[in-house]
Amino acid sequence: MQMIEVNGIKKYYKVAKRDKGITSSVKHLFHRNYQVKKAVDDISFSIKKGEIVGFIGPNGAGKSTTIKMLSGILYPDEGKLQINGYIPYKQRKQYVKNIGVVFGQKSQLHWDLPLIESFELMKYIYKIPQNLYEENLEKFTKLLDMENFINQPVRQLSLGQRMRGDIVAALLHSPEIVFFDEPTIGLDVVAKEKIREFIKYMNETEQTTIIFTTHDMQDIEKVCDRLIIIDEGKKIYDGTIDGIKNKYANSKTIEILLENGEKEVKTFDINKTPMNEVMEGLFSKYHIKDISICEPEIDEIIRDIYEGRVALKTTDGKVGEI
Amino acid sequence: MGEIKIAAQSLRMSIHTRMQYRVDSLVATLAVFVREATNIIVIYLALMKFDKINGWNVNEMLFLFSLLFLTYAFVVSLFADLRDFSCMIREGRFDRLMLRPRGLLFQLILNNADIIASIGHGTLGICLFLISANKVGITWDIPTILYYISAIIGGVLIQGGMFILFSALSFYFVETNSIREIFYWNMRKFAGYPISIYNKLIQTLMMYVVPFAFVNYFPAQYLLRKEDMADYNEMYMYIAPCVGVVIYLTAYGFWRISVKRYKSTGN
Ligand SMILES: Nc1ncnc2c1ncn2[C@@H]1O[C@H](COP(=O)(O)OP(=O)(O)OP(=O)(O)O)[C@@H](O)[C@H]1O
Ligand SMILES: [Mg+2]
Repeated sequence: MQMIEVNGIKKYYKVAKRDKGITSSVKHLFHRNYQVKKAVDDISFSIKKGEIVGFIGPNGAGKSTTIKMLSGILYPDEGKLQINGYIPYKQRKQYVKNIGVVFGQKSQLHWDLPLIESFELMKYIYKIPQNLYEENLEKFTKLLDMENFINQPVRQLSLGQRMRGDIVAALLHSPEIVFFDEPTIGLDVVAKEKIREFIKYMNETEQTTIIFTTHDMQDIEKVCDRLIIIDEGKKIYDGTIDGIKNKYANSKTIEILLENGEKEVKTFDINKTPMNEVMEGLFSKYHIKDISICEPEIDEIIRDIYEGRVALKTTDGKVGEI
Repeated sequence: MGEIKIAAQSLRMSIHTRMQYRVDSLVATLAVFVREATNIIVIYLALMKFDKINGWNVNEMLFLFSLLFLTYAFVVSLFADLRDFSCMIREGRFDRLMLRPRGLLFQLILNNADIIASIGHGTLGICLFLISANKVGITWDIPTILYYISAIIGGVLIQGGMFILFSALSFYFVETNSIREIFYWNMRKFAGYPISIYNKLIQTLMMYVVPFAFVNYFPAQYLLRKEDMADYNEMYMYIAPCVGVVIYLTAYGFWRISVKRYKSTGN
């Protein structure tokens, strides 16, 4: 069963163009020049129940805009959207009972009050039965290691602590689908790891369907089965992480240990030079004691893709699916 | 039932927040009280000289004022988020509400209460009422009390409805604060006096555009029956409590249509 079905959604923002000076601001009152920004430009994908999908792309690619459409905050200008049997922007109240949304950059917690107060409010807003509420709260606070700051006002919490609070607030009602928009932004390695483990745990034990955006490829490698890359509002990749490594890794690094103890590092492009040619070349040139071929780092591949050094589309113009 | 629990928890949170800054809250409340009371005292002193304005004596004037303050005390405890709505939109806090399985207006009304302003205006309203209510010749029998209560509710709904209308406008325009400044806050200043003292334009505005006249002038007229009521349709005194319901429902309808246009800010 497809949990999330997205079909050619588009979102264009109209941005008022504003020139400097008094005369133009007077003109501006009556007539505005709009510039159309194609934030999301024809994106389609479908996601099965229980999948974890990483959603990445450079700044301004349209990730948050997509998440907002998926969660019912924005109407798509065009295209179809069906999630868990609902059309998010049309059946908002029914639909949102089944989803949880975490915006890493924006807290939903009450700034001056302890976390527990915001959680209590969620209990009433989502009509969470008392036993489920207590069960979830206990489980989450343990998993995320929050016992010692749950009674502290949110304004006194560190970013990582606050983020954990936000995650709990969004998940107390046991949603079937969770959207995370940069849940690891600005966190240290330990906090990131905690959150990754938690997301994985939710997915494995509750079969929660998860989409999350991030700029940290470690998040993706450690948590996601599947990766969707978007750029300038368009989907440019949809598939596994290994798939992207195989498909877009145009360079491999070879480390060779020479007989005389010296080390050499070589990088080459497998599309230009086949492996056997490279090997022949190396063996004829050096006395090799040991050799190791390093897989390219996913970070490098992604950087190459963002910077346009890698062909994003196959020759027939279709998005690379693996 | 669930709604009441949300309301109770929200109120608890608003109070709890203020209690964390006890001294600060107290000073702020006092400041609101003193600021508003000063205006009243100035008027009071001026009236000592003139004795009457358009037939209204000092106590009647204070009674007129008390309605304005009492209704406003409820308005700021219920509609604080709508008063600060453009700020909410700008900061993206409105997005959050859309993610919750409850009505948007319902959440906005329950969410934050401006307790400081509420207590400040409320206390002043009660003071003015206590000072004047027994000296203006009103017999407080049951029908009168019922009229009075419905007039207060109507006054709250009129002002709440206006806040909703102004908030709905911010779905169309980026800047709505100045519109509200002109139409709400300025007109509210006029509402302290019997509208009969103003020129036709302002009277018309106060009755049909920004209907503050139905918040305090016409309800006070029902209770006081001053001569200047002869200038207006007598009906207005009787329908004053209903005007609030009509305005509120109109505002609600406009809100429902406008909220569809909402497009959230980046990030
Ligand atoms: N409310 C808005 N009005 C106008 N333009 C907007 C608005 N929100 C976003 N945009 C534009 O739409 C594009 C996509 O923005 P979006 O926030 O979806 O990007 P993103 O992929 O989440 O980026 P980031 O990684 O920086 O969070 C950007 O060019 C942005 O400037
Ligand atoms: Mg974003």
